[in-house]
Amino acid sequence: MTKEPSDTAPRGPFPPEEAMLAEPVPPELDAARTARLRAAWKAPTGWRYWSAVNNTEVGKWYSLTALFFMLCAGVMALIIRLQLAVPENELVSSDRFSQLFTLHGSAMMFLFAVPMFEAISILILPGMLGARDMPFPRLSAFGYWCFLIGGVFVIGSILFDAAPTSGWFMYPPLATQAEGPGSDIWLLGLSFIEVASIAAAVELIVGTLKCRPPGMRVNLMPLYAWYVMVVGGMILFAFPPLIAGDFLFELERSFDWPFFDPTRGGDPMLWQHLFWIFGHPEVYIIFLPSIAIAAMIIPTAARRPIVGYSWIVLSAVGTGFLSFGLWVHHMFTTGLPNISLGFFSAASEAVVIPTGVQLFAFLATLMAGRVKMSLPMLWIAGALAIFTTGGLTGLMLAIAPFDFQVHDTYFVVAHLHYTLFGGMIFPVMAGVYYFYPFIAKKLLSERLGRWAFWLIFTGFNVTFLPMHLTGLLGMPRRVYTYPTGLGWDGLNLVSSLAAFVIAAGFAVFVWDLVRPKGGQPLAPRNPWDAGTLEWTHDVPEETWGVRSIPHVTSRYPLWDDPALLARIDAGRYYLPDAETGRRETLITSVIDAEPMQIQRVTGPSWIPHVAAGFTGGAFIFPTFHLYWPAILCGICAVSAILWWLWRDTARPPAPEDEMRDAGLGLRLPTYAAGPSSAGWWAMWITMFGDATAFSSVIFGFFFYWTAQPDFPPPGAAHADGTGTALAALAFAAAWGLARAAQRLNRGGRREPARLALGAGAVAAAAGIGGLLLAVAPLSPSSHVYPAILCAIAVWIIAHAGLGIVMLLYCLAGSLAGKLTPRHDADLQNVMLFWHFLAASALVACAVLGLAPGLMTGGAP
Amino acid sequence: MSEEHAPRPEEDRREFAEETESLWRVTFAPALWALHFLACYGLVSLACARGLFPIGATRAGLVGLTLLVLAGIAWLGWRGFRQWDVHSTGRRANPGGHAEDRHQFLGHAAFLLAIISFIGVIFVSLPLIMLEGCR
Ligand code: HEM
Ligand SMILES: [Cu+2]
Repeated sequence: MTKEPSDTAPRGPFPPEEAMLAEPVPPELDAARTARLRAAWKAPTGWRYWSAVNNTEVGKWYSLTALFFMLCAGVMALIIRLQLAVPENELVSSDRFSQLFTLHGSAMMFLFAVPMFEAISILILPGMLGARDMPFPRLSAFGYWCFLIGGVFVIGSILFDAAPTSGWFMYPPLATQAEGPGSDIWLLGLSFIEVASIAAAVELIVGTLKCRPPGMRVNLMPLYAWYVMVVGGMILFAFPPLIAGDFLFELERSFDWPFFDPTRGGDPMLWQHLFWIFGHPEVYIIFLPSIAIAAMIIPTAARRPIVGYSWIVLSAVGTGFLSFGLWVHHMFTTGLPNISLGFFSAASEAVVIPTGVQLFAFLATLMAGRVKMSLPMLWIAGALAIFTTGGLTGLMLAIAPFDFQVHDTYFVVAHLHYTLFGGMIFPVMAGVYYFYPFIAKKLLSERLGRWAFWLIFTGFNVTFLPMHLTGLLGMPRRVYTYPTGLGWDGLNLVSSLAAFVIAAGFAVFVWDLVRPKGGQPLAPRNPWDAGTLEWTHDVPEETWGVRSIPHVTSRYPLWDDPALLARIDAGRYYLPDAETGRRETLITSVIDAEPMQIQRVTGPSWIPHVAAGFTGGAFIFPTFHLYWPAILCGICAVSAILWWLWRDTARPPAPEDEMRDAGLGLRLPTYAAGPSSAGWWAMWITMFGDATAFSSVIFGFFFYWTAQPDFPPPGAAHADGTGTALAALAFAAAWGLARAAQRLNRGGRREPARLALGAGAVAAAAGIGGLLLAVAPLSPSSHVYPAILCAIAVWIIAHAGLGIVMLLYCLAGSLAGKLTPRHDADLQNVMLFWHFLAASALVACAVLGLAPGLMTGGAP
Repeated sequence: MSEEHAPRPEEDRREFAEETESLWRVTFAPALWALHFLACYGLVSLACARGLFPIGATRAGLVGLTLLVLAGIAWLGWRGFRQWDVHSTGRRANPGGHAEDRHQFLGHAAFLLAIISFIGVIFVSLPLIMLEGCR
């Protein structure tokens, strides 16, 4: 502790003292500050409006788009129900029907449920954390435009009779052999959206970790923020296996690499594993955010703090990790050993416990408080009723022998919709009614809201309750029609009629949402008397997020600190000003939320659109086997992103700007590198997702080895040993050089650092060469063994390419003065990437070079 | 642990250093659950699909592993419970804004996660005891 505090260390008092907070701000000063702040955060107008990146704008577009996709998928469901209303109906053809149910399921899951969570979180999370915006607003905008392009592409395919037909889980061999571009649209379109989902998850996690208001220690975070972290983490571990699966699948469809083709050693079961490692957590990814909404509404309705805060947080975390141990329960009928099935059956029952704890904590809160049956509470109550029913049928399904009976019948369809409506639709509706005044500064109609509730609630039960029976009577799912006389006719007709009651309910809701509200008075500022920070929002709307960022010492600051609101408004807290005219927010520490940095936040720009457009091209062209345009788009996308990063991120501030006043006597640095910076955390979290995807590909290799007696096949060609060894050495050298560059640069030796960066890039290129040499003797379309080795090599080569670009980016930065010995955020982030890259490259080389020898020796 | 202090550089690194032990405790219990799960699933698959080792011995070995893992989780839970310190402070919920509240909250977190992981491990091991062979 003898180290001299450097000139860029935070200085000043913290926590603020009461006397400082009570001191009034002179009115002229306050007016000037308010004006500057307003100007800095002004949303662009006219056609430029669409270049906005504010979380409020992007969040609105995001949620409305997700709602639109949901309505499209709903219309598909209505057509499905029309077709099934009477036996032997001829309304749609069998092929159309397959397109309809595939797209209905896929759109509901990928274009509505997950994006809706992210959209709502982007909208409300900064408010809950008293932050001005998300840490990387342009990243949210980029994610949104990717989502829009990808979603329109996937949904639009049905208009051209080209939609995927193999069900929302795309089982091969059905899907690998399907004619036309349907499966490719599913694989590439949805991968594209998954990438956007991961980007949003990273941003939400970093927002929760680094953008909390000063004083909000981990034990004070709003429950919603905890759920955001849990769900974000789950997205990061669940989506990558699916992306890895998509990667293999698309290689099979485009280049005939036989990953799932049993005649050449492939195995369709691998897809099932990868899909359900994603698919079951997906259920909880959809379900936990809804609990999060309930966790905000219930204390407000009960007018008391939540009962069992820690219990809820930890149950959420528990549900999160247990849900990764359940995937095989979707594969009960695939002939795995009974003990293995048993593990998953048991874990499926275990996950009920944390789920139950959360529900009981809610009930306890309601019983301990004085409940006001507001409209949001009504939806929550409906959700509880429906979800409990769905949970009961789920428990039945988790018992393997019962599942054998009703597998793939309408019983499953009924169960699925009970959990999805109870666990997602109803709580989200509650959330919309609850947060609407925060978002739009107007209230939704109480009367229309009740109408919508009762229409959807009754419609839902009358549609789906009979389906349990239809299923027990043996009606399989995914059949486009059925013969009369099996006892299914009446039940189906009832379901179909009631589906339109649900639709009527949604129509009422959507009307309420979009009807012009110009004549309606503004909503009160805190209409539900809630205790959390988002309800300090400004009515009428201000785009700055929060007038000044408060110091927080409790879980419900609005309830516990009566002076808080007035002080926020009076600009008594942190960052009450925008002296430089730029957008800024406060970065705090991860555990205790101590103020650390004033971070510049990016403003409106078209670059996210350009980047999203080209990224879209890179994913969409391959669907039509147009690879050159795709590669061109990919290069343009990377260039656009580099341009964006170069111009606006991690630029060293002017020397007099290194330290700035944050208010209340506190002076903070404006630049941070390494673990102090938000960008470093984003990189770290992203790399976790990336490593998960890579592990899934490696899992594929070992899966083939366990599942197949002749893997590697006798006499097969192996990867070239010299090439593999060369690659391993070269990647290790590149890593070492990158590390040396970082050290040298830190120590002020910029010339040698530049040399090391350049040499690192050359070494990485040599590594790529080594890998190419290693796989040269393999012919990937002949058997799955060479195919998976080549897939591993492709993965590493693509990442090494990125790694080279990053090193060169740092080199350019160093030459241009963007990267200096003290301002080395870029280099530290790149180093993080290289740690992961080097580790995966070595694993890959080990599998390529060593595993075959070990395996052919040991196996019977 | 330190109470309020003046702002300092590299706040994150210092906070993590201060709470390293409780953070490990928080992550270890779920990690043990995950490893145990993977060991069960992986070894049984290897025994049944590849015939690398006899299923009987595998089951016995895994039951032994289960006991070890349970003991480990129980120990973690106990340490967490001590850190939560509910006996001497009487504070269950830790809703306060001091470093002490955060520290106790992390203890409570470790304790609860240990409970969840403990139950999870028991559930997962039941088939080991109740089902026989590879069929
Ligand atoms: C208006 C409300 C809805 C109706 C009437 C409806 C109806 C249906 C029907 C009849 C099926 C079975 C198709 C078949 O197997 O032939 C189905 C499948 C499915 N639905 Fe819905 N649904 C509705 C809302 C939702 C929502 C809100 C979600 C998710 C958030 C959802 C997710 C799914 C999924 C994942 C499938 C499985 C698709 C497949 O088999 O590949 N549905 N729906
Ligand atoms: Cu599941």
